[in-house]
Amino acid sequence: THFLFHSLQAKMSRPVQARRLEGIDKNIWVEFVKLAATYSKVNLGQGFPDFPAPDFLTEALTRALGGGNHMLHQYTRAFGHPPLVKVLAQFFGKLLGRDLDPMTNVMVTVGAYQALFCCFQALVDEGDEVIIIEPFFDCYEPMVKMAGGTPVFVPLRPNPPKDGKLMSSADWQLDPAELASKFSEKTKAIVLNSPNNPLGKVFSREELGLIAELCVKHDVLCISDEVYEWLVYDGKQHIRIASLQGMWDRTVIIGSAGKTFSATGWKVGWVVGPDRLLQHLRTVHQNSVYHCATIAQEAVAQGFQRELMLYGKPESYFVQLPKELQQKRDWLVQSLDGVGMKPIIPEGTYFLVADISPFKSDVPDVPNSDEPYDSRFAKWMVKNKGLAAIPLSAFYSEAHKNNYPNFIRFCFAKEEATLKAASDILQKWKQEKNSS
Amino acid sequence: MFLASRNFCCRGIKLRTDLLSRSIKHSTSATMPFRHKNTRRIEGLDSNVWVEFTKVAADPSIVNLGQGLPDISPPSYVKEELAKVAAVDRLNQYTRGFGHPSLVKALSQVYEKVCGRKIDPLTDILVTVGAYGSLFSTIQALIEEGDEVIIIEPFYDCYEPMVKMAGAKPVFIPLRCKNDGNSASSADWVLDPAELANKFNSKTKAIILNTPHNPIGKVFTLEELQVIADLCIKHDTLCISDEVYEWLVYKGNKHIKIATLPGMWERTVTIGSAGKTYSVTGWKLGWSIGPEYLIKHLQVVHQNTLYTCPTPLQEALAQAFWMDYKRMDDPDCYFYSLSRELESKRDRMAQLLTEAGLKPVIPDGGYFMIVDVSTLNVDLSDVDEKQPYDYKFVKWMIASKKLSAIPLSAFCGPETKKQFEKYIRFCFIKKDSTLDAAEVILKNWNK
Repeated sequence: THFLFHSLQAKMSRPVQARRLEGIDKNIWVEFVKLAATYSKVNLGQGFPDFPAPDFLTEALTRALGGGNHMLHQYTRAFGHPPLVKVLAQFFGKLLGRDLDPMTNVMVTVGAYQALFCCFQALVDEGDEVIIIEPFFDCYEPMVKMAGGTPVFVPLRPNPPKDGKLMSSADWQLDPAELASKFSEKTKAIVLNSPNNPLGKVFSREELGLIAELCVKHDVLCISDEVYEWLVYDGKQHIRIASLQGMWDRTVIIGSAGKTFSATGWKVGWVVGPDRLLQHLRTVHQNSVYHCATIAQEAVAQGFQRELMLYGKPESYFVQLPKELQQKRDWLVQSLDGVGMKPIIPEGTYFLVADISPFKSDVPDVPNSDEPYDSRFAKWMVKNKGLAAIPLSAFYSEAHKNNYPNFIRFCFAKEEATLKAASDILQKWKQEKNSS
Repeated sequence: MFLASRNFCCRGIKLRTDLLSRSIKHSTSATMPFRHKNTRRIEGLDSNVWVEFTKVAADPSIVNLGQGLPDISPPSYVKEELAKVAAVDRLNQYTRGFGHPSLVKALSQVYEKVCGRKIDPLTDILVTVGAYGSLFSTIQALIEEGDEVIIIEPFYDCYEPMVKMAGAKPVFIPLRCKNDGNSASSADWVLDPAELANKFNSKTKAIILNTPHNPIGKVFTLEELQVIADLCIKHDTLCISDEVYEWLVYKGNKHIKIATLPGMWERTVTIGSAGKTYSVTGWKLGWSIGPEYLIKHLQVVHQNTLYTCPTPLQEALAQAFWMDYKRMDDPDCYFYSLSRELESKRDRMAQLLTEAGLKPVIPDGGYFMIVDVSTLNVDLSDVDEKQPYDYKFVKWMIASKKLSAIPLSAFCGPETKKQFEKYIRFCFIKKDSTLDAAEVILKNWNK
């Protein structure tokens, strides 16, 4: 507009926004969330449950509110509400076989998202390289860039089973030599996400050992995003890389109440790690958000108290949730397989990725298109079939967005009715294709 | 019982955490030197000196007027809205990243009324984790290396480290007492227009304004805002306007939004706070309001830092705002009733301090009061530490009088410590029993 141009002429030589925002303004979620809101009848896109958070958690919030302690509406300790950091230290201390100090080995953040932000801001300087394993939760790349770092990508490569069976996320693997070649003297950190979003891969002890060895050899940090730590299936075990030899001192573990307790809207996350790394995260935290909401922390603390008491028992939410989700996984796998889409069976998380090739004829290829095929397909699908999902290219770097053009990601943390409705859409779609 | 704490960055004492970390490095196995230090952007920003003062705050025998948080209850309908929300399933999941729809809608309505202009809830507003988060998003979005940012002293302590973390240079200008140091009111503290003009140059990217002002309680007048606005327009500078205490203005004063002055909307980001508006500092919700072409950059920062704020709290806040929006023309609206409640606490506090021989500076707004303690002539020259007088005084007061406050030099740049070291800051958004306890101490001061 005219008056703006006029008033900004003096400083027009450079843009009003800071350079750190360069190249990080695009965000796939903004677009796809809007599309889902507008068109979807069944939303298997964005990763959040459509079933309720567990009663014990919402009851904890209600109790806290009804308890008459109105100071729960005021600031709590900046680095984490004492009851919460105490129980987290206890809980993760047990899991890691270590004595954790709640004041220095734990910090509470606004979701795992802000924990990631603190890690990159605290530890990644201009010129540092950060290894990111593809496909990756999309925020890692822009966060590394915002910190002035250089993302270095290394792919998980699919090794399909010879017998024609459905792939498992375990069939997507790192090539050890390729991984080793990514480590340079500039490498500051590697980001590990296990269980992995979007594939659902649960890294094995051997795979983690490979990464750990390289970290130790090159003196590299590990930012370990373990938000789906409780969502592992088929009796698999989630192994914490920080428990491997030489890793505690160089790893920051990230967790999420949103994923742990099916309450993504509460935005409570945490980091666990050695003080000499967490001290720097604290500095970032105290200069960015400073405190996290008190009452949500209070309720999450109570949720963890319950789980501490029930740990390993059948009533534990950490036992029940994966059991339920495994069933939903199997259900969706069957639905997709039944219509000819080929799902990659995830070992963990509440996502799965499927090859939609038999349905490609509905969305013709557009040569020389800027947009990856899977993204166009997903948009067509939500607009025309009312089924929302996320294109796999969302989880790849710009250079590799067209590597796997036929995959889209579905979230199965959904009520039976939702999954059934998705199945109905798919069945109808297949019938239409068969009859045409 | 848990610790409700408020930490401040202090310039007087630098806690040498780097010394500590070096010693840890040596004591752990050192087969390979640990090269992983802090990044450059946070160099020197780790010091958090209120360790001492917040530890003290935990002692229940101390009457704590230091921390800037209410010990009064939030209004019951606010608490009730949150309780209602807890029962709604879908409100436990992610909401819109830039702000929960019902909340940004409510904010746009309230502020449209206040500003007299159309505010688009989706493009002109960003909801953040407290006003603190708004300050961070604004500074990260719009400030970078090579920029200068003008900060008015005394200042809310986070402005300086945030500006530094963005790689920019803080340029300080002090409020000066116009009556030769004999200040009865926050209105006595003013900027020298010529001195202010001198601080602006081609590198000046923004000025941070805080009105009503923490710690002094000054409510900038239209004339004062016009001086700042004229300079912003002349030098094409942005204005970051921290207005968290916007509703807390006392009789005879009016809070004016600098964004409503001609030429200012397009260059101002205005920051507000649910914590201060509704006495719910622990909800950590704030907002930035401004023109789309500025807010969009804050939204980019937000989507790359924490993405979205908690849903249930935003929904409850939206409901509370709707209730008060409907009665914005009614004196019972909480925005005005809280201010009346606080005015009587202010007056009570001022009286107690005066009777104890102290010289309070009566604030026109906010919930802090600064006090000149030099009149007491407490001799602390034998206290060893190389700290400004006000630090020593507060420590002495905590130990001997069981009353805590915050030393004002914590809110200053390096050049102005001498100017402010005879002042300490009290917070008066406290329940009657807290003020009663303070009264006992102050009445017995000279015994």
